[in-house]
Amino acid sequence: MSERVPSRDELLAMAYVDGELGDEARAELERRLASEPALRREVSALKKLEVLARAAAPREPQDHEWAALAREPLQRAGLALGWTLAVAGVLVLVGGGLWVLFTSDAPLWLKLGLGALVAGGALLFLAVLRARLRVLPHDPYTGVER
Amino acid sequence: MMLATTDQLPGRAVIEVLGLVRGSSVRSAHVGRDVLAKLKNLVGGEVSEYTQLLAEAREQALDRMIAEARARGADAIVGLRFTSTDIGDDAAEMLAYGTAVKLG
Repeated sequence: MSERVPSRDELLAMAYVDGELGDEARAELERRLASEPALRREVSALKKLEVLARAAAPREPQDHEWAALAREPLQRAGLALGWTLAVAGVLVLVGGGLWVLFTSDAPLWLKLGLGALVAGGALLFLAVLRARLRVLPHDPYTGVER
Repeated sequence: MMLATTDQLPGRAVIEVLGLVRGSSVRSAHVGRDVLAKLKNLVGGEVSEYTQLLAEAREQALDRMIAEARARGADAIVGLRFTSTDIGDDAAEMLAYGTAVKLG
């Protein structure tokens, strides 16, 4: 059986995550992190492993029950259907409400105000969602369970 | 980096106290987790969504505290404590703090 020899960058990333680099080497690696996505991914993956290992706790009996329940088709179907209906309900209510408002005799200022509020809220939400999705791959804490 | 809740480390001498180090993190659950957690409130039992939220904040706060201690050249953090507060309805803050020291 042969083991793959880690590359120099992989060894550097491991030493960085373990806090074993000196000031100069750490500063140099942090400069490289800003411009090298592959190295950034390597450090993120190692950091995630380190955090998970540190937070690992023995599994309790209830964990096995939760895991078994999550695999049951009835439970999965119930959750999927529940979420689908809830999201569809929100979309229909918001869309229908806006349609009713804009086709009604309500004053123009009310239509414009509510339209701007909904559009602004949607844009702000998309901006926040985009930022979160950008950061998510480098967030090592999302896998911690307890 | 050695972490201890005690003020002394048996068998090791503290040769320099570098001062207070701390790390904090405020994290929130996404709306999907929040909805399920609220529903679990109706039936009781562990709300694992929030257990996970606190654990994430705890680990992040711990890492930030360790990073500050490393930047100061510490070998250990003694007197480690955690504290938490609520910020808003669905966000949790964890603060980890302790004293960074150099060991002989």
